[in-house]
Amino acid sequence: MYNSLTRIQNVFGFFTTVAFVVGAIIAASDFTAPRTPSASIKPTNVQVVKGRPHYYSSKREEYAIIKFSLDADLSSLFTWNTKQLFVYVTAEWPAPPSGAADGTNQTNKAVIWDTIITSPSSDHLANIGPATLKKLRKSAAGKSIDPSRGKLSLKNQRPKYQITHPSGKVANTEDVTLHVHYNVQPWVGMLTWNQDVDFALWKQMARGISKVFQLPAIKKKDEAKGK
Amino acid sequence: MADQLLEQVRDLVDGQIDFEGQRLAEILATLLLSIVGAVSFLVGFFLQDISLALKIGLGGTALTFLVIVPPWPFFNQHPVKWLPVGGSSIPGGHQNIIIDEKTLVER
Repeated sequence: MYNSLTRIQNVFGFFTTVAFVVGAIIAASDFTAPRTPSASIKPTNVQVVKGRPHYYSSKREEYAIIKFSLDADLSSLFTWNTKQLFVYVTAEWPAPPSGAADGTNQTNKAVIWDTIITSPSSDHLANIGPATLKKLRKSAAGKSIDPSRGKLSLKNQRPKYQITHPSGKVANTEDVTLHVHYNVQPWVGMLTWNQDVDFALWKQMARGISKVFQLPAIKKKDEAKGK
Repeated sequence: MADQLLEQVRDLVDGQIDFEGQRLAEILATLLLSIVGAVSFLVGFFLQDISLALKIGLGGTALTFLVIVPPWPFFNQHPVKWLPVGGSSIPGGHQNIIIDEKTLVER
C-alpha cells in the first residue's frame, strides 16, 4: 500500500471479493421467497398433417399441430433477482415397449410452444423494437419488479412448432399429454426449472399437466374425416 | 523549472505514503468496501430492486477508490524519521570495515 499503484491493486482485489460474496448472498436470498406456481392447460384443436422438414427435402413426414388454451399464475416466480422467465409447453407420450429388451421406459417429448417473459430490470434486453420497448416499460409503471407479467391467459393459442417423431409417423398416437414447464433465469445464481418435489418454500407447480388426449388420423381434404 | 514541476507530478502520481498511512489505508479500504457491500444488498433486498443495488455497489466502490488511492495529506501524518547522513554523530565510535582481507579503519 506504499504507492498509488499497489493501493489500486489492493482495493480492486477486495472489491472483487465483496462483489462475489454479495452475489452469493443475493442468490441465497432467493430461497426466502416462496414459489407457488400454478397452471391449467388443455388442447383445443389437434390436427395431423403431412409435410416436409423444409422446402427442398424429399422426406415426407407427419406433423401434429396442437392448439391449446393455457391459464397460468407464475407471478410468485418474479423476485428482485429474476431476470427472465422462460415458459414452455411440451407434448409427451409414452413409447410402446419394443422387442426383447422390454422395460424401455421412454417418453417422447417435443416442445410445441415457448415464450420469454422479462422482468422490468431486463426489458432493455428483450428482442423487441424501440416502440414496443417503450410500451413495455410503460406497462410496468416504474416498478422494479412486475409479478403480474407472470399471469398468462392464452385462448386457443396456435403452437410455435409442429411436432413429429423420428419415425415420421405421429398419426393416431395414444396417451398424449401437454405439460407446462418454466425456467427461472436469475441475475445471480443457479438456473432453476419447475420442480418435481416441494423444496422448503418452493412448491411444485399445481396442476400443469393436461388431460390425456389422442393425436388423430391425418387430416383429409374433405372435412368429414378430419378431427 | 519544468523539471521541478515534473518532479512534483511524478511524486503525486507515485503516491507514496508513510507506514501509519498505509495501515490506515488498509483498514479504511476493508471497512468502506464491506459497508458498501452490506448497504447495497440490504437496500436492494428491502426495495426489491437489483439495479439500485448494482448502482450503490459500483458508486460506493468508486468512492472508496477516491478515498484510498490518491496520496491525501492524512496518509502522511507520521513521516519516517531518517537518521542523518554520515553516521558520525556517535562519539568515539570506530567502525572497522573489512574488504578483501584488508582492514580499513573508518575515521
